[in-house]
Amino acid sequence: MESISEFRNPRSSSSMGSRKAREREMLDSVCSMIALVFFLVTCVELCDAATVVDVYRLIQYDISGAPFGSRLAKLNHHAGSLHFPPGADLSRTVLIIPVRDLNITFLQEYIAQRQPLGGLLFLLPRVFSFENKDDMRSNHQNQGNDLLKNVIAELEQLLIHANVPYPVYFAFEDDDIDAVLADVKRTDAIGQPATATTGGFKLVVSAPEPKKLISPTITNIQGWLPGLKTDGDASQLPTIAIVASYDTFGAAPALSVGSDSNGSGIVALLEIARLFSLLYSNPKTRGRYNLLFGLTSGGPYNYNGTQKWLRSFDQRLRESIDYAICLNSIGSWDNELWIHVSKPAENVYIKQIFEDFSNVAEGLGFKVGLKHKKINISNPRVAWEHEQFSRLRVTAATLSELFTAPELLESTGGLVDSRHFVNETAIIRSVKLVAESLARHIYGYQGNNIQIFADDSSLAVNPCYIQSWLDFLSRTPRVAPFLSKNDPFVMALKKELEDHTHEVNVQHEVLDGMFTFYDLTKARLAIYQVASVTFDLLLLLVLGSYLIVLFSFLVITTRGLDDLISIFRRPPSRKVKTA
Amino acid sequence: MTVFHFFNCAILTFGPHAVYYSATPLSEYDTLGTSIKAALVYLGTALVKLVCLATFLKVSENDSFDPYQELLKALIGFVDVAGLYFALTQLTHRNIAQNHKFQAVGLGWAFADSVLHRLAPLWIGARGLEFTWDYILQGIEANANLVLSISLAALGSLIWLRKNKPKTLIPIIYACAVIVATMPSITSYLRRGLGWHFPKVVGFELFTSLVMAFISCQLFAACQKPSA
Repeated sequence: MESISEFRNPRSSSSMGSRKAREREMLDSVCSMIALVFFLVTCVELCDAATVVDVYRLIQYDISGAPFGSRLAKLNHHAGSLHFPPGADLSRTVLIIPVRDLNITFLQEYIAQRQPLGGLLFLLPRVFSFENKDDMRSNHQNQGNDLLKNVIAELEQLLIHANVPYPVYFAFEDDDIDAVLADVKRTDAIGQPATATTGGFKLVVSAPEPKKLISPTITNIQGWLPGLKTDGDASQLPTIAIVASYDTFGAAPALSVGSDSNGSGIVALLEIARLFSLLYSNPKTRGRYNLLFGLTSGGPYNYNGTQKWLRSFDQRLRESIDYAICLNSIGSWDNELWIHVSKPAENVYIKQIFEDFSNVAEGLGFKVGLKHKKINISNPRVAWEHEQFSRLRVTAATLSELFTAPELLESTGGLVDSRHFVNETAIIRSVKLVAESLARHIYGYQGNNIQIFADDSSLAVNPCYIQSWLDFLSRTPRVAPFLSKNDPFVMALKKELEDHTHEVNVQHEVLDGMFTFYDLTKARLAIYQVASVTFDLLLLLVLGSYLIVLFSFLVITTRGLDDLISIFRRPPSRKVKTA
Repeated sequence: MTVFHFFNCAILTFGPHAVYYSATPLSEYDTLGTSIKAALVYLGTALVKLVCLATFLKVSENDSFDPYQELLKALIGFVDVAGLYFALTQLTHRNIAQNHKFQAVGLGWAFADSVLHRLAPLWIGARGLEFTWDYILQGIEANANLVLSISLAALGSLIWLRKNKPKTLIPIIYACAVIVATMPSITSYLRRGLGWHFPKVVGFELFTSLVMAFISCQLFAACQKPSA
């Protein structure tokens, strides 16, 4: 069959046919190669967003299994603003809310009614950023900031105690995001929220599913400064303990630097340790008391760390503690501090401590008040650190600027607790107060008006030391579950205590089972400006007509108008021919 | 949605080449081989130009217009012209009318240029979520480039393949050829020296390509007359 057809057809057409077949094969192979190359190149994924911003996720945690905080991390929705038309479907929209324009009641209702939402992005003023290197130390105490502080504090409490089933992120205002928000507000005002068919902005955070943190460690660091033991002393010297908890908790764990709660306490403790190490370095000025400095973790969680630390004590050591002073938030007060105790004021030891402190305070020019709060052993809530000591029958008191006991997860160094609102002079005065009172007790100068840590002496309180440590702490987020065992910050505290004390011990414990935390505190948000599908459809239409016009133009100019018409009339003409 | 945009831009960039091939008599005379050979010659000249640029050119820190560097780039650009000469004269073509030969060579040249310069950015960029007008403008630029390549091939074929030309037209032919050949330097001067934005530059390219096409068409027709 084939040979006959080959014989019949003229040679030229057969050669042309084979050439055509060869060319077609070549084209096919080229096409398949191109397809393979395309497939390989697809694997290259580049981020081509116009704007990329650092965002900080709302904390996600469980208390005894009850979920709190934001339960999701991945974000891939269109941006919307607060000016959305009422009744719009927001389940695929991320609301960008600057906290300056926040209406807290609206948000409260929205969350309480469990309305669907794609996500929330809160924009915080740059003042609260600890990465803002300039102006870190200036005290922005104007009215606007105070109002903003209250709004943000309220927002933080709302979000911490709510169960939010969509991602919530915090970001700082900057030019790019402000421009995006202005655009979004404009389109929302027209009344056309952004969806897949109308274009707009798309916010994308590609993050893995948040995982539970297994066995988060809390690390307690203690420094021991032994007192002067003369040969005749058979029994152990009495001990005075100075304690401060160093970890924080806030709505955005990556932003919880807690300058006042409890950065001020840590700084004061370190400075007191430094001063007493100077005194104790010389045997002639070494007191007859041991000094125990404790930097505890787990503060926001009912002072869990302090409890474990105390439980690890030797019975003798615990009994030798005369009293313990706990430092909590002493960085932004003006002229009154409070001593919180759990034993009644008539107690002999409490009386003595209070007298010491109030005498020194009088000399320094401010007031110290005494506040008594009974402990309820059956209530697991521990509001002050000294309560952990009292539960083990050790006399203790907390020095703080706060008047009322904070609730669970309140005043734990959250979003508003930034460097701007802390006053070094307040810390310096607190250090003087504690150091002088302790010295009078140790060296027995009760009631006398002698200043041991006078200014311009070698034992003066060093403001540069306080400032540099405060600045460092205000740049370090310190939420305990996210601090690893050998975190550089914990190592830094340990090294600092080693410089000032004789012996340092580090104790690693696991945080109590009541609290469970989930990871992923920081992410990068990519903002894309997207065009709608209708735009691309229109473009396709325009291109199609352009190509058709081009085709017709070329056919007309090169082959003539008849050819063009004949292309479109070909089917009927063939039919006519065969007929 | 964004693959859709890539598809649109690809149609804009490469569609006209296919349309040109199928609409003109090129498809009837089966000049695909010529176009493919011209594309390969373009590839070769691109490699040669790359090596020359890498050897002789300094990398400048800022995006300003350096006349010396631009002159060097223009000189290296003449390698392009040499490649075109090679494609038009040295490659053995089947018996194709000169009219169709320069069109096929110009088409292959322009197609290779589009693929090499515009396919990779298009693939990587247009598929992303972010929308910019750049790729559509790039497609329009590819269209202008097609017209310019065909005009350059036409003028080249007039210079090298046609032996009897009217004396008066020769300087005009050479002048037009020089203008078309130095188009890349002119656009780079506009973009860097005068600071024109991309849409303006593309508009200028489109305009000049149409003008040049018209002029070369007229020149070709004028040269056609004595032999006819």
